[in-house]
Amino acid sequence: MPSGLADVGLLSLSFVVPFMCVLLGLPPFLRLLTRMGRVSEDVHKTPPTKVPEPAGPILFVAALLGELVVAIGFRSWVPVAIMLGAGIAFIIGLADDLFVLGGKTKPLLLLVAGVAFAGVVAFRPDLYQPAIYFPIIGRAAPHFIIYTVLAVAAFPVVSNAFNMMDAFNGEISWFTLLTSLALLVGVSLHAAYASGFSLARVGATLPLVALAAGFLLFNRYPSRAFDGDSGSLMFGAMFAGLAITGGVEIAAIIAIVPAILNSFYTLSSVRGFVERRGMSTRPTYIGGDGLLYPSTEPNAPNTLIRLILLAGALSEKDLVKDVVYLTLVACILSVVTSIMTWVH
Amino acid sequence: MKLAPLFGIEAVALLLIIAETYLFFNFVVPLGPIPHSLTEYTGLALLKLILILALVAVWFVVMVGLTRIYVKAKIRNAPRPSS
Repeated sequence: MPSGLADVGLLSLSFVVPFMCVLLGLPPFLRLLTRMGRVSEDVHKTPPTKVPEPAGPILFVAALLGELVVAIGFRSWVPVAIMLGAGIAFIIGLADDLFVLGGKTKPLLLLVAGVAFAGVVAFRPDLYQPAIYFPIIGRAAPHFIIYTVLAVAAFPVVSNAFNMMDAFNGEISWFTLLTSLALLVGVSLHAAYASGFSLARVGATLPLVALAAGFLLFNRYPSRAFDGDSGSLMFGAMFAGLAITGGVEIAAIIAIVPAILNSFYTLSSVRGFVERRGMSTRPTYIGGDGLLYPSTEPNAPNTLIRLILLAGALSEKDLVKDVVYLTLVACILSVVTSIMTWVH
Repeated sequence: MKLAPLFGIEAVALLLIIAETYLFFNFVVPLGPIPHSLTEYTGLALLKLILILALVAVWFVVMVGLTRIYVKAKIRNAPRPSS
């Protein structure tokens, strides 16, 4: 176990390596995707523009390198478990990018990511603590089976929630950056105030922050790259795994409340798992003025975006700003929760 | 300011999540004496399942209710393109 300066060096590397990998690896990969004809229409532009997709493979390689630094440097199994779950989510996402999986198939397959993650406990029983820490109140009674079942279920739930936040330019990268920063604060406070909590768990969080920060430079309005389901499902799986290994489940749930609400609205109004392409009525549409409007159809699905637009038509850039504000408030509340849980 | 109602819905959602997770782990999971027979075991398991479903239902009903109120209030004055 390294200490002092070596710790700082390793933590810095676990951020710099994936960040530089995205920064340097993505431009040539995007050119390759364009040459291969793997471009998607940016349907919220008039006229629609073509954007290379999926950037997920480069994001996965960057995440893998970042977690490798942590695994070798801190001799920890945490990054192995994280990348096992995230890797399976990435493969499922890539299959969806290439062949389009069904609305129900994806969540079911994503359970495999959760099972693989939890399977690492067989080798490393200290991978996670089977108890939840609450602000002020403290720790709930530990229960291995129930906690593990919830941990496995968290992978499809969180991955899909991230996936549903990937509809507009910069939405997923801003969302992942803000929520991963809130997660980093929570895990850091846990490491600082709880005895015997490994710094490797803080280090394992940094590659996700780096990925989101690097990808934001390409994904922000107007997007030069889309991550595809391979990217968004991997982001979600990494977030779920890091929240569990970091012991900051409550703070993590609070940070992603906008995504949870978005998924809940969609699932409850379309009554089940339906792909975006499979919705009979669109929740929003583009007016002749280029602004986004909410559908006023009674059977239109209630997405978070439709609820925001009901307060007023917006350009895509301003709409993403509003999503960022909602996420920012959730993340501030998440940080407050982490402080109330760990600082004493 | 126009986002204020959505911030409110967000706050209610997360308060319910914290409260219900606390109830789940501190009251529902450790509920009851250790069962000594299959009937007791099944009864306790069913009771816990019902309580869990009740917690989920409360969150669901509150969220659906708040969303319906919000949509109903906004839909009449929903923005439409001028042309």
